[in-house]
Amino acid sequence: MEFPIFVIPLFVLLLIWYLTFSATRLDRLHQRVETSWANLDAILQRRASLALELTHFPETDPAANLLLTSAAHHARAADISVRSEAESALTTALILLRQEGWLVEKYPEIFEELDQLTERLRVGIALHLEAVSAARARRTKPIYRVFRLAGKAPLPVKYAFEDESLVEAQR
Amino acid sequence: MKIGLISPYAWDVPGGVQAHIRDLANHYLDQGHQISVLAPASDESSIVEDFVVSAGRPVAIPYNGAVARVLFGPVAASRVRQWVAGGDFDVLHLHEPAIPSLSLLACSIAEGPLVGTFHAAAPRQKVTFAIAPFLEPVIEKLRARIAVSEIARETLRIHLDTDAIVIPNGISAEFFGRADSNPAWKKELTIGFIGRFSEPRKGLNVLLEALPKVARFLPEFRLLIAGPGEGLEAMESVNPALRSRITFLGRVDDEAKASLLKSISVYVAPNTGGESFGIILTEAMAAGVPIVASNIPAFSQLLEDGKYGLLFESENASDLADKLIRILKDKELAAKYSESGLNYSARFDWKQVGEEIMNVYLHARGENERVTLLSEARPWSRLFTRGEEE
Repeated sequence: MEFPIFVIPLFVLLLIWYLTFSATRLDRLHQRVETSWANLDAILQRRASLALELTHFPETDPAANLLLTSAAHHARAADISVRSEAESALTTALILLRQEGWLVEKYPEIFEELDQLTERLRVGIALHLEAVSAARARRTKPIYRVFRLAGKAPLPVKYAFEDESLVEAQR
Repeated sequence: MKIGLISPYAWDVPGGVQAHIRDLANHYLDQGHQISVLAPASDESSIVEDFVVSAGRPVAIPYNGAVARVLFGPVAASRVRQWVAGGDFDVLHLHEPAIPSLSLLACSIAEGPLVGTFHAAAPRQKVTFAIAPFLEPVIEKLRARIAVSEIARETLRIHLDTDAIVIPNGISAEFFGRADSNPAWKKELTIGFIGRFSEPRKGLNVLLEALPKVARFLPEFRLLIAGPGEGLEAMESVNPALRSRITFLGRVDDEAKASLLKSISVYVAPNTGGESFGIILTEAMAAGVPIVASNIPAFSQLLEDGKYGLLFESENASDLADKLIRILKDKELAAKYSESGLNYSARFDWKQVGEEIMNVYLHARGENERVTLLSEARPWSRLFTRGEEE
């Protein structure tokens, strides 16, 4: 039986369509990771600056000041790979400070905003982790590796924020 | 913020998803956001809300044990396209985007901050595995997924292999809390049931089967049934001696529903399955009425395994009768469930739920980003769509 020659260009066309289709999908997933990271980062930055604001109050003792300032600065300056560690340290520092009830009573607005940020942080982390794992799962598929559809985009980093400590911070 | 909401089901047919969208829209309007809702409608003149845009007449298809009135096809697609292009939305919130509906259409032709809410809970179905490869690239575009319950989340995970954030359906706790009881309905030993009782999955027949036993212990009980329909057919299976104890109220509006819940001594939910959340249970709790519910997964989870209501073995009429008798006889137990339910219902208030959903919106959206029509990077697809868009 003779092999019909027109099948070859058809196959090539189909392959090109599929490759571009797949690349668009991956591109969209990368975009989702970037958006969610940008939002998460904004919340974390805001939290760090609130923490720094707390250190300016005359009532906070020098030890707490030192703890907060260093935690906040670390969190702001940290590289993405050590970011979650630094943010967890800040969470712990904030929890410690929270235990001093009179401080919360004196500055209710700032602690209210912190609570709201914690709520948003929780959503943010969940969504970001989902976006990252979706993008990573897609990139491991053979077609993306063989044809290098990810291009030069870096592999999204998982952000291991301790969820439990956040729940603690709520109380 | 300018928010676009899409209802998959006909706006002029009562249903949980539509009610959720309407209340969410009203809640955000009160907060000063701009809202537009796109929904199918059998009769456009019946739409009273000025923020609702009709996309045309729906078709009825059987879905998940009920008849769903949905809309799709090329005409609907061009309506969605128009609405999205003209809306200039900050966020587009699609409800039930995994079934053939306006939401799925919107998900495939729009791009940007898309959020999807999954309401349905369905058992593992073979057909989904055939559809999944086509659905996946579309659903993947959602920046964030919300499931209304753990069961809905599990359904999503099994069928489409993606995770979701659980945010429950909302109610206006205050509305149900401050409603007045109706003297005509308020009597001792009154059992209440609300729902489309003609659908078998709502479990009215289980309740009717339990009545003879209830009557043996509490002969003076009454049963009030609210929901669309006459109930004549359902009555045929009931012992003639008991028929006088049962009253069908027909379809009730929100006010009547709230005052019915306020008037009865116990609310019963004998559903046999197909439920994903059970909004009526949260409403009953907000009205402070104790609940007897079947132990289907959605209800067990919502009532935290009986912490906020008495559970009976699903489809077991005798067990249902026992639980009804117990709660009607034991005033202390009834008061305990009434109080714990009332406290718990605050968690489902729109104040809380609306804020949680808003947090998801904020996170799904990049800075100054807007929802746009899909502009594929591939050159030839632009050739195909250019004519339509202009």
